[in-house]
Amino acid sequence: MAAPMSSVGKPSAERSPFNNTSFQKKTRSKLISIPGTRPSVQNGQLLVSTGVTSLDYLLGGGLAVGTVLLIEEDRYDSYSRMILKYFLAEGVVCRHELYVAAAQDNPDDILQELPAPILDDVAMHKPAEQPRLSCEPPDGLDAMKIAWRYQNLPKVQTALASSSRFGHYYDVSKTMEPEIRQAAKCHRFYLPEHPTQSSPPHSTMLESYSALLKSLQEVINREGFDVAAPMSNSRNILRIGLHSLGSALWGDDLCCHDNPKNGRALTTFLYGLRALLRSSLSVAVVTLPSHLIQDRALMGSITRLCDNAIALESFKGSERETNPLYKDYHGLIHVRQVPHLNCLASKLPDHKDLAFKLKRKQFSIERLHLPPDLSDTVSRVSRGELAGATMVASACGSSSSGNKHLDF
Amino acid sequence: MLPELLQGVDTGGLLVIQDSASYSGRHLLQSFINAALNREEAVHVLGFEVSEEELKDGLRGSPVQRLHFHNAYTDPLGWTDNPAFTVHQFCLGELTRLVKQTSHSKPATLVIDSLSWILRHVSTPDVCKTLQQLRKGGAVRSIIGLLHADMHQRGTVGSVCHSATSVITVEPAMRGDEAVAKITKRSKSGKVIQDEEIFRIKDDLTVVVQSKSSKGAKKADSEEQETDPTANLTFNLRLSDTERETKQKLALPFVFSKEKKTALLHSGPGSGRIHYEPDANDDYDQEDPDDDLDV
Repeated sequence: MAAPMSSVGKPSAERSPFNNTSFQKKTRSKLISIPGTRPSVQNGQLLVSTGVTSLDYLLGGGLAVGTVLLIEEDRYDSYSRMILKYFLAEGVVCRHELYVAAAQDNPDDILQELPAPILDDVAMHKPAEQPRLSCEPPDGLDAMKIAWRYQNLPKVQTALASSSRFGHYYDVSKTMEPEIRQAAKCHRFYLPEHPTQSSPPHSTMLESYSALLKSLQEVINREGFDVAAPMSNSRNILRIGLHSLGSALWGDDLCCHDNPKNGRALTTFLYGLRALLRSSLSVAVVTLPSHLIQDRALMGSITRLCDNAIALESFKGSERETNPLYKDYHGLIHVRQVPHLNCLASKLPDHKDLAFKLKRKQFSIERLHLPPDLSDTVSRVSRGELAGATMVASACGSSSSGNKHLDF
Repeated sequence: MLPELLQGVDTGGLLVIQDSASYSGRHLLQSFINAALNREEAVHVLGFEVSEEELKDGLRGSPVQRLHFHNAYTDPLGWTDNPAFTVHQFCLGELTRLVKQTSHSKPATLVIDSLSWILRHVSTPDVCKTLQQLRKGGAVRSIIGLLHADMHQRGTVGSVCHSATSVITVEPAMRGDEAVAKITKRSKSGKVIQDEEIFRIKDDLTVVVQSKSSKGAKKADSEEQETDPTANLTFNLRLSDTERETKQKLALPFVFSKEKKTALLHSGPGSGRIHYEPDANDDYDQEDPDDDLDV
C-alpha cells in the first residue's frame, strides 16, 4: 500500500474534520497540491481515491487524474451503483466538485443516497474485557477489574477511521447528512430535461451523447478545470459520474440488438470524453450495463477506450449463489484493464480471482481462495471407487482383480 | 411473492410478465387486471393481440365498468382511414391524453398486451424511453406489460427488463394446469428479491400458489426447538444468594488492591510499558457482531 501523505512526527495545529494536518511539505516540484489527491508512488501521476480503498489498491493506488474508470455493471445494478455513490461521496468529503449524469434516475436522487462518511471524532469505544461475574457496575470506564493495566491507555480508534486522509470509509446504512452534501458543488445532467436537438446526419454520435459532451465541456471551461486555464492558487478536481451509459434510456440501441445500428456512438463519445479529460483536472467513472451487450468485439473496443476497466459479477440470481465456495462473498470482480500512463507497462494485480463483499462499513475486495475441505473422506479414496476406476482405466491393459488398490 | 404483487404494483412501477410459446402469460395478465378491477382502480388496456370481446370474455365476473379497452387489434398500423389506436401512437403525449380523457380522479393502471407487438414496430430505445416517461409522469400509476421473450433478441428483452421493477417469468410446470413463476423484484432501495413459485389460476381468475419449488437441497425440513441445555441435569448449576455473595467476596489471586494498582499504573521510567497496536479483531462493530449483516 502506498504511504499516506501526512507526516507522523509533526503535531497538528488545527484539525478540520476532513482535512489532514497543517503540515505542508516543502517541495520544488511542479505538482499542484490539491486536497484529496496524492502523487502515485509508481509513476508520479496525481491520484484520486475512488472512495473504496480496496479498489484503490487494485488500480495501483488510485485513479489518475484525467482518466476514465469503466465499471461493467452487475445484473441488477446494485453494486456498480454503490461504487458510483462511494466515488461521489469521496468527492464530497475531499471537497471536489461533482458532475452527475443519468438517464434513468434523477441525479438528485443519486446524490441523496450517498453513504455517510465515518469520521475520526466518532471513535468506536473498544470494550475491555469486563468480568461477567461482577454484578456491581464498574465506576465508569476507569475501574476495570481485570484489565486494569490498560486503564490509562487512550481509547483505541478502529482501523476503519484511519489516519490516512487519502481514502475514507463510509457507513452504507446511513445516508450523508444534507449539510455535508450541500457544501459540495454538484452539476447535474438529467437526460429527459434536455430536449433532443437533431444531430447532423453524418455524425456518428447520438444527440444524447453530444448534449452530454457539450455540457461537460461547458462546465469544465466555465469552472476553470482546464489545465490550460491560468494557474490560480486553488485548483480543484471535477469528479464525473455517468450512470448506465449505453443503456436504452440514453437512446442507444447498443444493448438492444445483436447488430446495433449506431454501434459506434458510444465509442465516439468515450473518445471525446477521454480527450476532454486529458486536458482538464477531472476524473470520470462510467457504468455500463455490459451484460446486455451481445457484441463482444464492441465490448472490447469500449474497454480499450477507457483507461481503467473493472467488471462486477454478482452472485444474486445466478447458479453460483448456492456454491459453497462463494458463500462469504457477494460477487466476483474482474479487472479488465489497468492503464499505463506515460510508461511502457503497468502493474497488474497479482491475483486474478478476486471477490468482493459489501459490508456495512467497507467494500472489501479479497482474493478468492478455496476454503479448507474438512470432510472426512477428502484424502481417502474409498476402495470401491478406486477399484471401479482401475477397471475402467485398464480396459486395454491387464484387468486387475478389483481388490488391488494403492493406498499411500 | 405472487400474491403480494397481485395486490398492487408500487406507484411508478413497471411489471413485465415474460412468457414463451410453451406457456402463455395472458391468463396471469388477466388475473392482474381482475385484481386491479377488484381494487376499484381504473384499468386501461392497450390490446394489440387479442380483441376486446376475447379479453372481456376472459374477465367474466369482474367489474368491467372501470376497464377501458383501447382497440389496437383491428388496425394497429393505420392502414384504414380512421384507426382506433395505432402503434405509432405509443408515445408519451398520446398515451397521457388517452388515459386522461377517460380517467377518474385516481391515476390509472396501464396494461399493455403486448409489448412484443410494439417492439416489432417501434425501436427499443423509444419504447424504453416512453415507458420511463410514463412512469415518471403522473397520469399512470403503474404499468403491466406482457412480453414474449422468445420473439426478441436477448438484448432487447434484457433492456426492457433492465428498467422494470418486477419481472415474472412464467414457464410450464410438471402438471398441466400449473405453472412455474420466477419472480424478480427490485425495491427502491436497490434490494433485489428473487422467488420461484408454482401457481395455478382458477376459473374466477384468482391465483393459487401451490408451493414454492425447492431450489437447492439446503432447506431444512424441520426447525429444531430451542432447548435449554441446563434444564435436565443431574448436578446443580444454580447458585443460591449466599453462595453468590461469597463468590463476589472471594479475592482472586491476581486482583490487586487499589493502591497497588495505582502504584503499578503510574510507574517510574524504568519499568515496562504497554504498547497496543490495534489489529483486525478490534474492528468490532456492536451492531453487527458477526460482520455478516446484509446491507
